[in-house]
Amino acid sequence: MPILALDTSTLVSSVAIASPEKLIAELILQTKLTHSEVLMPHIEQILAMTKIKKTDLTGIAVSIGPGSFTGLRIGLAAAKGMAYALKLPIVGVSTLAALAYHYPMPNIYIAPLLDAQKGNVYMALYRWENGILQEVQAPVVKSFDMVLQDGQVLDLPVVFVGDTAQKQALAIAEAGGNVVPAMPQLVMPRAANVAMLGLSEFAKGKTDHVMQLEPVYIRRSEAEVLWERRNGKSEE
Amino acid sequence: MEDKACLTLAIESSCDETSAAVLSGGRIILSNVISTQIPVHQKFGGVVPEIASRKHIANIMPVIDEALRQAQVSLTDINQIGVTYGPGLVGALLVGVSAAKALAFSLDIPLIGVNHLEGHIFANFLAHPELKPPFVALVVSGGHTSLVHVKDYNTFYLIGQTRDDAAGEAFDKVARVMGLPYPGGPQIDKLAKLGNADAIAFPQALSGKGNFEFSFSGLKSAVLNYLHNAEQKGEIVNKADVAASFQKAVIAVLIDKALQAVEKAGLTKLVLAGGVAANSALEKQLKASTEAAGVEFYYPNMILCTDNAAMIGCRAYYQSLMGDFANLYLNAIPNLKLTDKE
Ligand SMILES: [Zn+2]
Repeated sequence: MPILALDTSTLVSSVAIASPEKLIAELILQTKLTHSEVLMPHIEQILAMTKIKKTDLTGIAVSIGPGSFTGLRIGLAAAKGMAYALKLPIVGVSTLAALAYHYPMPNIYIAPLLDAQKGNVYMALYRWENGILQEVQAPVVKSFDMVLQDGQVLDLPVVFVGDTAQKQALAIAEAGGNVVPAMPQLVMPRAANVAMLGLSEFAKGKTDHVMQLEPVYIRRSEAEVLWERRNGKSEE
Repeated sequence: MEDKACLTLAIESSCDETSAAVLSGGRIILSNVISTQIPVHQKFGGVVPEIASRKHIANIMPVIDEALRQAQVSLTDINQIGVTYGPGLVGALLVGVSAAKALAFSLDIPLIGVNHLEGHIFANFLAHPELKPPFVALVVSGGHTSLVHVKDYNTFYLIGQTRDDAAGEAFDKVARVMGLPYPGGPQIDKLAKLGNADAIAFPQALSGKGNFEFSFSGLKSAVLNYLHNAEQKGEIVNKADVAASFQKAVIAVLIDKALQAVEKAGLTKLVLAGGVAANSALEKQLKASTEAAGVEFYYPNMILCTDNAAMIGCRAYYQSLMGDFANLYLNAIPNLKLTDKE
């Protein structure tokens, strides 16, 4: 019972096919290709390579953010279109939680950092306890500098992952304290993680509604923030 | 040639309407569902691209589902999918394009990438079953003002277009300065009915014979200056007169150039298309002017003037007859031109 998994939350384009017992195939490209152009061809190609028919799929897992707004919407529109047409269950998984699947080991924190523009990151803090992923700190928007400072004084080693961790690899390597840099092949999102997280959600009976699933933006649009700043103040 | 059994599902998400439609053959609308976001954008005085994209991804599947339900067909009955890939807001277009590609791939059916502006022209084929090319189309919308020679269903020549602002853009900006709510076009249209169109002489740019280019930025500035000067002098402006005089200047240029273009092309048919086609004064005066000139005049009804997927489905159908299909690499092209062919 293979599922299809997608992650287009960063500039990495990744698709995977997995069943509960194994990762069957995964495609990860970090080549600045446009998601809108290559995502569907990648899905078509990975199915062809594995000789799995799209009608043999049993579900779709999709990374729903936070991350690049446009990237998330491309992945979600594709996932919803396929789920609707093939009558497949769909589940949206947190991009941050999926990133924590890179380091499933005890006695460390994993801190996924995704670019939130202007020196900020979307971040959360996770740790693995008895093989179960625990959210230590819920997703927030913070400045990267603040995140780095906080990391240095944590009570356990913390591994930074995500696109900002890749971009700031040097600052992270030099930070010292309890900050540990990630390995280059285990720093960016990959669809295999989304697949495994999605499979565990499906196993718990959790699915999302194909009509209602939306990205997790965390942030409102800039226009809304500005409007409320301008119009909210006059009422105070 | 017309294959009435062919069912086309069409998707449109280029600006602030999420729409899906089902067509039987090229011209029979089985459903045309439009989810408008106008109330959401109103308080910002215009379309906010990021908010539009967020609404599209939330609305896209329910709108498609409703279009199939209203057409009383199941997804597996659909033979092909048409989708707007430009021009428009890139983030908004990408939602429709991505969903359309996923559906076409999943169902193993052909995909057709449609130019939104061509869709507006083709809205007339839905409104008028007897209409056939060749004709001249006057495309007037928030983003475009163009004269197009439609030779046949798949051959278009651009006769002329705007150098700067689109007519609809000028309407929206003038309306905004006058404190009218978004979208401004219909508001000006309404207000103009109460005013004197000869009260103020606003300039009509590029009105020379044989010039098929438009320019509305000078007119827009003239109106803004007029309002500004009056404000500085503490004069009370008759807004209805301003609206009527401004509208008259826009319409005069549009009609003059459109009729010249019809004559130059040696044709006898003029087709009005695009969001501004809903302007009642433009319709009325074009009707009178074309009648006087012995030119047949066609325009779509209200619903088919606005952004809607049925017009995209109509265009897609005629593209499919030519084998003009897209592959899974189809991307959104925000500044797609009328004559661009991928
Ligand atoms: Zn339009």
